[in-house]
Parts: sequence; C-alpha cells; structure tokens
Amino acid sequence: MPLVKLFGSILIIISTSLIGFYYGDKYSDRLSNLIYLEQCFKILETEIVYGANPLPEALTNVYKKGNKKVSFVFKEISDHLKANKNGDLFQSFHSVVGILRNSLNLKDEDIELFLSLGRVLGSSDRKDQEKNFNFVFKQISVLQREAKIEKDKNEKLYKNLGILSGITILIILL
Amino acid sequence: MDEKEIGIYENVLEFISLGLSHILKRIPDTSKSKVEEIRLRYGAPLNIYISNSDYFVTEEGRLTTEASQGRIVGKKDIMETFQLISNYSVYAFEEEMKNGFITLKGGHRVGLGGKVLYGVNGIETIKDISSLNIRIAREKRGVSEKLIKFITDGPNKVYNTLIVSPPQCGKTTMLRDLIRILSNGDRLFSLRGMKVGVIDERFELAGVYNGMPQFDIGMRTDVLAGCNKRDGTIMLIRAMSPDVIAMDEIGSIHDVEAIHEAIKAGIRILATIHGDDLDDLISKRSLKILLEEKVFKRYIFLDNSKGVGTVKDIIDGNTFKSIYK
Repeated sequence: MPLVKLFGSILIIISTSLIGFYYGDKYSDRLSNLIYLEQCFKILETEIVYGANPLPEALTNVYKKGNKKVSFVFKEISDHLKANKNGDLFQSFHSVVGILRNSLNLKDEDIELFLSLGRVLGSSDRKDQEKNFNFVFKQISVLQREAKIEKDKNEKLYKNLGILSGITILIILL
Repeated sequence: MDEKEIGIYENVLEFISLGLSHILKRIPDTSKSKVEEIRLRYGAPLNIYISNSDYFVTEEGRLTTEASQGRIVGKKDIMETFQLISNYSVYAFEEEMKNGFITLKGGHRVGLGGKVLYGVNGIETIKDISSLNIRIAREKRGVSEKLIKFITDGPNKVYNTLIVSPPQCGKTTMLRDLIRILSNGDRLFSLRGMKVGVIDERFELAGVYNGMPQFDIGMRTDVLAGCNKRDGTIMLIRAMSPDVIAMDEIGSIHDVEAIHEAIKAGIRILATIHGDDLDDLISKRSLKILLEEKVFKRYIFLDNSKGVGTVKDIIDGNTFKSIYK
C-alpha cells in the first residue's frame, strides 16, 4: 500500500510541475522567439536594402539563413505570396498570424508589429524600406525588454507554483 | 509558330491581375498571337493594340471598337497588376522605374504612368500609378536576313548602319536580329561571327532579366544593360574589344560623341533612330553632323505599309542614292 501511495504522490508532483513548467516556458519562449525574429528581420533588411532581391526570393533566403525555429514563417509567407496571385503582401503576412500566436507564443503586440512590416514591405524604394526597418528594430527591442521583464517575473513564479501546488495537494490528500 | 506567339501572350497575362487576365484569356486565338500592347488606364476601358489598330475588351472577352462596352479598369486592377509586375518589390526596380518602365521576364516592357517624384538627383520614383502599358516583345528570327547583303562587305566587314523608322515599325526587332546574325556568323552569307557589343540602355534589345538576356542575341555578344551610350561605348572599347557596337534609339549629342569615339577606335556601328525619311534626319541637329561627315554608310528605312518591319528603302550613305530594289 505505501508503495502505491508513493507512486501516486510522485505522479501528482510530476504532473503539476509539468503544468507549471509549461506555463513558465511560454514566457521564455516568447523572448527567444522575439530575438530570432529580430535576426530574421535583419536578414530581410540586408536582402532588400543591399541585395535588392525581389520579395518572394528575399523571403525564401531569410528562411534559409535564419534560425529555422522562427524563419519557417517566412517560407510560409513566400509560398502564400506565390500561390495567391489575387492578394497583396499584407494578406500573406496575415496568413501566418495563427502560427505566430500558437506555435511561437507571440503576443498581440508582437503580431501587430510583424503585420505592420507586411503593410509597408516592398511598396517603396530602398531608402524608405531602410527607415521602416529601423522603426521595426526599435519597436522589437522594446518588446524584447518587456518580454524579458515578464519572463523574469513569471517564469519562476509558474514553475514554483507548479511544484508547490503538487505538494499542497499531497498534504491535503495525505 | 502561332502557338508560340499565343504562348508568349499567355505568359504576359501571368503578370496581370486575375480579374483582367481572365477576360484577356478569352479573346480569340487569332488575335492573341498579334497583340502588341495591353493598356490599363485607371477609370478607362481595357484597351489592346492588335496590328496597329486599337480595340476595347468587353467583360466577356470580346473585342470591340465601342468604348462604352469595354471593361472599365479600376484602381484595384492597376494596383494588383503593378504588384505582380514589380514582384511585390518596388525597391528592386528602383533604377528602372526612374526611366519610367519595368522589364518583365521574357523581355516585355511595361511603361508606367503616375505621379513622378523628384529628389536631389532627378527623378526619384513614380507613385500613384495610374496607367500601365504592357508592350509584348516578339522576337522575329530571320527578319533581317534580307538586309545582310546590303550592309556587309566581305566575311567580316559590316558597314556603319542606321535603321530609321517611326515608332512601332519594328526597328528594335530588326536591330536585334541583325545583332544575332552578325554575332553568330552565317554560312549562307559567308559571314564570320563578329564580336558585338550591345549597349542596351532601355533593356529592350537584349531584354536582360536577372542578368540573363531573354532574347537570342548571338553567341559573341556582350551586353551592357541600363548603361548610357557614351559611358557604354567607352567601357566596351576599353574592355571588350568589339568589332561592332549596337545601340538603340540614338539622338542626343552625347550619342553622337559616343559614335565618334567608336569610329576612332575602328569599330563599326549599328544603330536605330526615330524618323520617317532622310529630310527628317537632317532636321535633327545632332544627326546632321553625322550625315555631313558621312559616318553611316547605309540608311535603312522601315515602315508598316506591308506589315510591321517593311523595308521601305536602303540608301547609300556616300551618294545618298537608293540601293534597294
């Protein structure tokens, strides 16, 4: 009997900890994805401002050169752009919103920044594109700082909460 | 042959917004192979030029001369088409847009109308695009064969030649084909292949897209695309040692300087110019110099009296007498 109890207790602690880690990880995930996203934007800027490569090609190059954890999004956009002749670039950017929110744990304000790039990309000359990129870089560093603060505050909190709530349940049950 | 021409037309439709390309796909096949221009103007009916006469296209894809039945082109059509033409990347065509056009894959040229913005260094860009003129480039291999015997003298000697014609009479096509024949050489005319340098200021001759000429311009041909004729001539003389330099649409005093430079270096010139006849050329100040110096040994006059690219006359540059029968 005590063996079963021990086994049950361990199971409870593991599961609540996992839930805690899951929620905690969302915060660190957002931060690291924002950093990867910035890298991808930097590659895209180089492709456009220095390489003057047309967008479908530039986006594919970002996919190849960037960190695949995030850069696959740019491949999706490029494919959408090539397939959907009737729409504009913004629609293609909009098509990946679900991925950004669910797989990359980005928040609404991050997604809004991402979309704002989709509104201006390719629509003007290189000088103007560079200005737009600089604006996006400023914004994204603000978001990264914010994500860092949230991560520091919440990541540990959720992880501890997970373990502690497991222990609490155990105390009540036993 | 016709099928290839229809194919060219349908390739061009890839660059037109779905709303309009559906309509344009429905026009009769016999017309498809002859379309020269597709014109999109904001708020005006869809307009195409076939064998030098213009038609409007109805919603059902019928050709008509009644403007009121034509499908009206909206802002959305223009914007979508422009995005497809520029491949969603205005910045990639910055330099070309300053000249007022974009070259498509296949060497077709799209002229742009809209609001022109000036910057410190002249025209900066065009925005609020209001009209698009899609000129379908058709390569006509062999059209210049009949001219070869008039402009060559021996297996590797070609006369300085000027092709004169009004717009839309095939002078660029003719020049391109001459370049191909001179560059490849031709057993039939016992021509040895010559090194040809092409200065393709407006991207029309070679139709360079992504660095690759879209037309067959021969295997001994070097292209300087987007380069002005004066700089281009000097660059070619220094670096490429051409036997012949070909250039499209000369006219300015700088072009005349370029031609002088080339002739000093013993290089032969093939060029084209807008004009109707010899008197027309004399009335152009810069050209008058070249005429008086008898730089060009052959003048070829084209018109479209028997279809595009009809040779009207060939005149000897020394005697100014016709040698074409």
